[in-house]
Amino acid sequence: MIEVGRLTKRYGATLAVDDLSFAVAPGTVTGFLGPNGAGKSTTLRAILGLVHPTTGTTTVLGVPYRELDRPLERVGAVLETFDAHPGRSGRNHLRVLATAAGLPTSRVDEVLALVELSGVARRRAKGYSLGMRQRLGLAAALLGDPEVLVLDEPANGLDPQGIRWLRDLLRSLAAEGRTVLVSSHVLAEIAQTVDEVVIIHRGRLVHQATMDEVEAMASGGTRVRAPDAERLGSLLADAGVESRSVGDGRLAVSAAPERVGELAAAHGIVLHELTAERATLEEVFLELTRPGSQEIEA
Amino acid sequence: MVAAELLKLRTTRAWIGFLLAGLALAGIAAAGTVGTAEDFRLGTTELSREILSASGIAEVIAFVVGIVSVTAEWRHGTVTRTFLATPRRDRVLVAKELGIVVPAALLWVLTTVLALAIAVPWLAFEGSSFALGEELAGYAGRILVTTVLWGALGVGVGAIVQSQTPAVVGAILWVLVAEGLITAALGLADLEVIGDYFPGRALSAFDGSGEEGGLSTWPAGAVGLGWVAVLGLLGHLRMSRQDVT
Repeated sequence: MIEVGRLTKRYGATLAVDDLSFAVAPGTVTGFLGPNGAGKSTTLRAILGLVHPTTGTTTVLGVPYRELDRPLERVGAVLETFDAHPGRSGRNHLRVLATAAGLPTSRVDEVLALVELSGVARRRAKGYSLGMRQRLGLAAALLGDPEVLVLDEPANGLDPQGIRWLRDLLRSLAAEGRTVLVSSHVLAEIAQTVDEVVIIHRGRLVHQATMDEVEAMASGGTRVRAPDAERLGSLLADAGVESRSVGDGRLAVSAAPERVGELAAAHGIVLHELTAERATLEEVFLELTRPGSQEIEA
Repeated sequence: MVAAELLKLRTTRAWIGFLLAGLALAGIAAAGTVGTAEDFRLGTTELSREILSASGIAEVIAFVVGIVSVTAEWRHGTVTRTFLATPRRDRVLVAKELGIVVPAALLWVLTTVLALAIAVPWLAFEGSSFALGEELAGYAGRILVTTVLWGALGVGVGAIVQSQTPAVVGAILWVLVAEGLITAALGLADLEVIGDYFPGRALSAFDGSGEEGGLSTWPAGAVGLGWVAVLGLLGHLRMSRQDVT
């Protein structure tokens, strides 16, 4: 549905995207993650035909974006920069786009209602808050009722309510069977929405995985407290499970709580506390994009 | 696509400023012409022609509107959405070239009507009248065509330069100052004929507002049209491989 094939983009001496390949399957929501400056925006702009690859290809729905017939009805996009004329009202901004795309004006009012912007639609865009601007961008993306959505940092500038609203919107768009590629520099922001993640760092792919796999990477060990921690520790060692004392009768164990609990019960060891430990998604993300970490994953 | 371009022009307030500037300058020109006319010139077709030349200001305004119709897209980042809707960038440029015809023609109509609305009653008040002549219609028509060509030239300049202030200031300076200076310099080497082919001088030879000499009407018009094509092509070459970031 969206395919990036060995994409490289060089701006003068700067290598923005470096031999990047990935594919986004139809009907999925894919998070496109990476720290700021990782090459996300350049990649998305290449997919949308706005940036010319130095080498490599990008296709949407099987063809380069520029060869799409009636592109706004196939692909909708929100890019990071504000792209409405400040002196034009939000509604007129959308009317211009609808006219260029051959869409009826009625569609303009529909998307304005969908992004909850009808109330300010006739005001000039220069007075819009950051959140309103993001909503206007989404309205423009949805104008042609496209099957593919490419969204660059759509949560930027939204307040927590706005982020929640966006999350619900993306989920409902995905539920309608649309393909969504959404970039973010914060994994947690989109973790609940995406099926898959593509993580890039310094223009290179470092990881592509389903969200379930990422969740699994986040699940870590167990923390246990026992009056006879020393004995439990040696029993775990006998069973081939690593553990270390973290003081005060506590052990950090690199195994699931079930395993630790069963082992303790089998040997009649009293436990005072047994807790599953999880790394946050953010920690996983930071680990993956740590300098040098791509050697492990690539 | 052309409709979208017209909607763009119509939905910001800039056009009000351009229109008012054009009308004010054309009004002043027409009033000045009638007010300073010596008695012996009253009722001559030559004076009528000078009154009609007030709409020449529409040419300048159309030129600036043409430039801004492109540069504003880069300035405000709307070019991103424009290219997403129409990824074939040559079509965007052609739509802008065609779209400029409407505001350019409108500027000519309104400035001409205003010039006449000032001059005709004023001449009547002086006991004279606005003399009609066959050649006047052709003259007015050529100003209209020239206004449209200036608008299209502006689109080409905008597509090449893209940065708004340098484009507008540079283009105006070129037409008002540089063409004359270069032609004068060329004259030192007896090459001033080259200057006749500069866009500004060619178009004023076409509409008849230029100095004596230079190209005759239709060759001058063809040269003007050629410049529209050349600048349009250069603008296309500039935009087609450009990264929009």
